[in-house]
Amino acid sequence: MSQKSNVQLHMLDRFREVNNTFPNTAQILELKRQGKKVFGWLCTYVPEEIIHAAGALPVRITGYSQEMELEDGNAYLYINNCSFSRSCLQMGLRGEYDYLDGVVGGSTCDGARRLFDLWHYYIKAPFHHVLTVPRKYTQRAHDLYYSQVMEFKQRLEEFLGLQITDEALCQSIRVYNESRALLKSLYDLRKLSNPLITGAETMEVLNASFRMPKELFNEYLRKLLNELSTSGNTHKSRARLMLVGSVMNNPEFVESIEELGGLVVTDELCSSTRYWSDPVVLDGCKDPLQAISRRYLNNFPCARMFPSDERFNRILELARDFRVDGVISQIIRYCVPYAHDLPLLTDRLKAQGIPTLALDVEYGTSGSGQIRTRVQAFLEMLEAKRK
Amino acid sequence: MIISSEQKKNNINSLIRTCRLLARMSRVNPEARKSETMYYQMLADYYTRVLNAQEEGGFVAAHTVFFPTEILYAMDIVPMHTETTTWLTALFLRQQAELLSAGAELGLVSEICSPHRGVAGAFSIGALPRPDVMLWSNLVCDNTAKSGELLMEINHCPGFFLDHPFQGSEGEVKYFIGELEDMIHFLEEKSGRRMDWDKLAEIVAQMDRQIELFREICELRKAVPSPFPPMSFLELLSVDYLYPGQPEAIDYLELLHQELADMVREGKGAVSPERFRLMTLFIPPMHLMGFLGKISQEYGAVSVVEPLFTRWSEGRLDPAKPLESVAKKAFLIPERRSMYGPLDEHALKDIVDSAEQYKVDGAVYWAFMGCRHTCATVKLFKDILSEIDVPVLTLDCDIVDPTINSEEEIREKLEQFFELLEDR
Repeated sequence: MSQKSNVQLHMLDRFREVNNTFPNTAQILELKRQGKKVFGWLCTYVPEEIIHAAGALPVRITGYSQEMELEDGNAYLYINNCSFSRSCLQMGLRGEYDYLDGVVGGSTCDGARRLFDLWHYYIKAPFHHVLTVPRKYTQRAHDLYYSQVMEFKQRLEEFLGLQITDEALCQSIRVYNESRALLKSLYDLRKLSNPLITGAETMEVLNASFRMPKELFNEYLRKLLNELSTSGNTHKSRARLMLVGSVMNNPEFVESIEELGGLVVTDELCSSTRYWSDPVVLDGCKDPLQAISRRYLNNFPCARMFPSDERFNRILELARDFRVDGVISQIIRYCVPYAHDLPLLTDRLKAQGIPTLALDVEYGTSGSGQIRTRVQAFLEMLEAKRK
Repeated sequence: MIISSEQKKNNINSLIRTCRLLARMSRVNPEARKSETMYYQMLADYYTRVLNAQEEGGFVAAHTVFFPTEILYAMDIVPMHTETTTWLTALFLRQQAELLSAGAELGLVSEICSPHRGVAGAFSIGALPRPDVMLWSNLVCDNTAKSGELLMEINHCPGFFLDHPFQGSEGEVKYFIGELEDMIHFLEEKSGRRMDWDKLAEIVAQMDRQIELFREICELRKAVPSPFPPMSFLELLSVDYLYPGQPEAIDYLELLHQELADMVREGKGAVSPERFRLMTLFIPPMHLMGFLGKISQEYGAVSVVEPLFTRWSEGRLDPAKPLESVAKKAFLIPERRSMYGPLDEHALKDIVDSAEQYKVDGAVYWAFMGCRHTCATVKLFKDILSEIDVPVLTLDCDIVDPTINSEEEIREKLEQFFELLEDR
């Protein structure tokens, strides 16, 4: 039971084109030609709106979209750092991100911290900044993170020789919030008994969302939502699934699950729901930097945050809202924060009657071979459970 | 798997008995250092205190590595260092397989740092006494940051996560002081004990002296030949981890300092003749310690500096500002500079300075597969050391799992490295 759309979605092809050519996407190269600055960011704790408000283009640093030999990544980051970090670093070392005017990261996990250390030493982007990101939600943690966000803004202003005004920040927040609202509308279509879009197709949209100018992305997504509402596309499935775990950018992995008849109806990945889920709450245009800071620290949390129940509860809420039959946890080898959480999360899902399939993967894996066998068995188990 | 309280007691008792036995053997060995005897006795006393705490109405706090234990001592709370306990168990009791297997049963995958898998396994089978509270921090990695919640669930106890900021700006230090204050409130509430600020000030004063002694001992190790036995730097780590700011630590360090100073004055080295002065990066496998001691003697190789563990950053503690000093210490410890915080120019310079100041011939990087953030520096350190012509041998290893490395494999690689050094 394949889950490919039976009707051609033209806007989806536009998103695919962006992804297939990334990082040398036409729109990015054109903006560079026009003299616009482009900054690479890594981790969802980097407030993109600040880069956008400075008149620059933020793009997310990701690795190769398929499983690759990572000779350089292995040599520089060693084999026991996650393949996402190694893949990103290898692309950087091979000059694939040479057009970046700067890179911005957060102190989110060991792999990300060291990726940035090595990027700084061996690749040397003109602008390099790492935000200290607290792991808690206390007022003190908010104060610290706010000061970090403010410092980042100041450094960017100095580097670019301009001032980022509150008006510009508010305008950027509006653009980004529109993007979040549109993505929510897209996800709402997946709550239907027979969703209008597959998980693999959704991942194409998500990947493009951080690889192109936001205004253009919003325009494309509005058109896609129109297309979907009239396409008559519906997808039946053997089981409604949710993906949780490490960062993932390859729709082929999701497609391999959906080819077996499962349908990924929602997810908890930093490259998907956790990226867009919470808006920046603005009161008019009052203190936009504070609003940005609160949103980024309070957003749907990464496994790095404490207490983990904040994340677990949001996952359980998603599972209820999307009527999920089973959860597939895909954890990149050596992605330790998620690996530590797995026994606790599995227990909580089990208590709600939701089975979990735990897969150890490498970043970029297409989900062939043993993974297909395990997913097939999981789907059979879910079907048997329903009977 | 349920373990009876009698078995629990026996597990810790075995550790205590082994430490006492080592102390006795060391005492009757005319070649052994007196400080070594004292060290084993300190280990025995530490675990005796843990074992007796609950029976005598003590309050036990289990905590992860690089934790500000000074606060626990000032509150009369008995600390139990989780990682050190696992690696001592690995070293002395050879129970690694049992603990790691229990960790795997909990669902902890093999990519997770083995001491942390071992700790969770040990608690789950009752090999460690159940603590009254669990304390943990993100200093030094994601494993320490993420280990606490599972341990709370296993032990059915409350816990506190201490958030250590990434960089050392003024705002971040202030944040960390606030975290310490919150932790003290948590401990006061859970233990019914009050923070004794005068006692904390005393402990800080002693900790300051302790750091000075660490630095002075490291200075003595610059001597040619170097006086400190090849793998004994682990004693320095354990003393800091288990007895920060405690009189026992001062006594041990003063005695060790005296012994090393005497050796330097007499021109005696820990190995004779001293042929290779080595920098040790990270920690060798525990089960190979005895073997490494022997092969070091055999080849005249001595570890003279361990920049990730024994080189404290510049700075003093102020007993008049006890809490600020406890926070400051967390930013001075060697592990923070090269293993946790950003690898800035200062951290890289320290590696090069260590090699030059200690006149090292080569470096051995024990690439522990469970320590991702440290291994990510293997190539970087190799590159900066090669600029000053210091070769680096990298050995993949696991510090507690004995199935990963054999003596034969390590011997072969070390011998080749020593040949290379000899040829230079």
